Amino acid sequence: MTAAISCKDLVKTFGATRALDGLNLEVVPGEVHGFVGPNGAGKTVTMRIILGLLRRDSGEVTLLGGDPWTDAVRLHRRLAYVPGDTNLWPNLTGGEILDVLGELRGGLDAARRDDLTRRFDLDPRKKARAYSKGNRQKVALVAALASDAELLVLDEPTSGLDPLMEAIFQDCILTARAEGRTVLLSSHILAEVEKICDRVTIIRRGRTVQTGTLTELRHLTRTTISAQTLRPADGLTELPGVHDLQSDGDRVSFDVDGDHLDGVVRHLSGLGLRSLTSHPPTLEELFLRHYGDELGNGDDTEDRRDDGALTR
Amino acid sequence: MTTLTGVGRLIRFILRRDRVRLTVWIIAISGVTLASAGGLPSIYPDQAAVESYVALFGNNPALVAFAGPGYGFENPNIGLVLVNETQLNGIIALALMSIFLVNRHTRAEEESERAELVRSNVVGRHAPAAAASAVIGGANVVVGAICAVGFVALDYQTSGSLALAASMTSAGLLFAGVAAVVAQITNSGRATLGLSSAVLALAFAIRAVGDVADNGLSWLSPIGWAQAVRAYADERWWTLGLCAVAAAGLVMGAFWLSTRRDLGSGLVPPRPGRPRAPAWMTRPLGLAFRLQRGALIGWTVALGLMGFLYGSIAQDIEQMVEDNQVMADVFERLGGGGLTDSFFAVVMGQLGLMGGAFAISSALRLATEEAVGRAEPILAGTTSRWRWAAGHLAIAALGTIVTMSAAGLGIGISYAAITNDAGQIPRLLGAALVTVPAILVLLGIAVATFGLFPSGARAAWGALALAAGVGFFGELVKLPVWTRQISPFEHVPALPAEDLALLPLVVLTTIAAAAVALGLASFRARDLRAD
Repeated sequence: MTAAISCKDLVKTFGATRALDGLNLEVVPGEVHGFVGPNGAGKTVTMRIILGLLRRDSGEVTLLGGDPWTDAVRLHRRLAYVPGDTNLWPNLTGGEILDVLGELRGGLDAARRDDLTRRFDLDPRKKARAYSKGNRQKVALVAALASDAELLVLDEPTSGLDPLMEAIFQDCILTARAEGRTVLLSSHILAEVEKICDRVTIIRRGRTVQTGTLTELRHLTRTTISAQTLRPADGLTELPGVHDLQSDGDRVSFDVDGDHLDGVVRHLSGLGLRSLTSHPPTLEELFLRHYGDELGNGDDTEDRRDDGALTR
Repeated sequence: MTTLTGVGRLIRFILRRDRVRLTVWIIAISGVTLASAGGLPSIYPDQAAVESYVALFGNNPALVAFAGPGYGFENPNIGLVLVNETQLNGIIALALMSIFLVNRHTRAEEESERAELVRSNVVGRHAPAAAASAVIGGANVVVGAICAVGFVALDYQTSGSLALAASMTSAGLLFAGVAAVVAQITNSGRATLGLSSAVLALAFAIRAVGDVADNGLSWLSPIGWAQAVRAYADERWWTLGLCAVAAAGLVMGAFWLSTRRDLGSGLVPPRPGRPRAPAWMTRPLGLAFRLQRGALIGWTVALGLMGFLYGSIAQDIEQMVEDNQVMADVFERLGGGGLTDSFFAVVMGQLGLMGGAFAISSALRLATEEAVGRAEPILAGTTSRWRWAAGHLAIAALGTIVTMSAAGLGIGISYAAITNDAGQIPRLLGAALVTVPAILVLLGIAVATFGLFPSGARAAWGALALAAGVGFFGELVKLPVWTRQISPFEHVPALPAEDLALLPLVVLTTIAAAAVALGLASFRARDLRAD
């Protein structure tokens, strides 16, 4: 099966800035693919290259079997896009903009449009200048979701939506998947990615750090375990793959690498287990693992302090 | 007063943000006014010239409507000529400066949601509006001071000079107050600009009718109050007090109104609009038309009215020039043919420059739409870059023809009505339309800058400035002919004073087409600009 989207060794520079530095991304048809990374990692640039709005410096991009730069119009017939920063014409009404964007995308399903307008609680008679950020976002979302495009490219579509609207959005995405559509969704709302994505690609500084199903990613990473044992849980520190051990009387909690989970659990059961809880790492934890070094980096915080001093 | 907390800091902030903008407004308005003031004594060197000027202006309703009532014309002096030539223009320029800047720092700021950021800090409720009023009031005073000093330095009589400069400043202050109130009532920056400008236009029209009919109606217009100071003719200073009191009252009224509404909303709730877009609007050309419709209508009406005005005064030009050797020389150099036709040829050049301003702003809509990210969702759809650009450029090109037709018809209709000769209409319409190829060259330059240097696309205005400079000053400072040739308007046959020549029009159109093609090819090959 050919990939819906495939990027290999993508490089894009803006002057001296290397926005993408050998990025890889593969989205297979029918999946909801999460595209995750911190601000400035290159998510939006990647999406704009996938749409043929920016030209790659080197590397390969295939969109629905074609080249997005040379074949933009033909390929765009089969996809719908929601930009990250939704700027609308202030003097047009929401309803007018929905129709304009929908028709210029290649047509939209009127019944679905009306249904989505209702579900997202959007007043189509209001001028766009009167919309809040969330409502502007909804206009772009409804225009995309009301299409019959086989591929949805969504750049942080829920930033600015309230939790209720987020739930409706997630529901729409699951419906889209059930209809066999493909979705590429960038986000830093990790709970959302965990809830609706089949596979995830994590990028950082223009490079792909990891890609795979959430299960695969978790396998590579640590599980958090809390246990209560009859006999004191000594010797855990000697076991390979155990990290951040904390013990309090007969209770212990620690993280264990996915590969060593089996050995650790055997060891614990030998000590007489009275209770055991384990939970897989959340994407937050995955994230912190990958970017944690940066968060704790003393230089970074120093810089920030300097900036603050300057503005004062 | 806690509602004004932080006003000093905000004043410094506005001065910092607008240091270039304010300087340009101040220098442009005082510069143009003083340039006229400096030129008048050489055009009207003696009492006889001044008297013939006064005789002409005092008796022509069209000239009275567009200059003023001519206070003191029974005792002609050169100061009265200065008032007639500069006062109304100065008042309108300062009023527009006030309206634009007040809107920029009040309603437009709220619309951009930056005001929230400011108001959430230790800033009183009225501080932003008070700071804006203070800075803009200050700018009006500075222009007045520069003009007053300049007039006196140019040997105009002192009290008259002070009165003339003060009349412009007080009208500017008054319209700052008008804009401050309107900004509270409407709910968008565009509506504030539109409604405030409409008030200005109404004030202008009321005093135009009042001055012509000489029936006291002008006392209903604040512009009438400013002019009624009778500069250089036994000044009545109290009329400026009317302006000052009204300005202060309006600003206080704006403060009061602002306590009756929420940040970001107006006093008048917005009307609901159409829930669906008509089919024509969902195509690139239709959308471009919808987005540019307001500007197109505005430019068409403005050019039509200007044409009408020029047509209505054309016959008097002949008499005016007969009485004045300096002006006769100017027109003679500008072209052969009859004096009236030479006048029309000059006017067509000026209207063509205005048409050029429309064409450039319309073509640069592409750059704006791209920069703010509104091109992105369209180009991510099934619209090619070429079709998207072609939509806006079609409006720019067709709009150029529409606006210049309005100008030509305006001139033609008013001149035909005066001379009772309907044949003037097609003749003058044709003369207006021959400038279109030169305007298209400016449009082509705008497209080329958009394609090649998207972040600096506004540089295209430089081409218009160059053409305007050559048009206005080329003759005056005796620029060598070859340097004047850079202006496309220099190549347009000066209809109706000259005969029609097709070759230059074909060449200009070809250059325009090549520039458009270059711009579009570059746009197609480059990255879409993000933010």
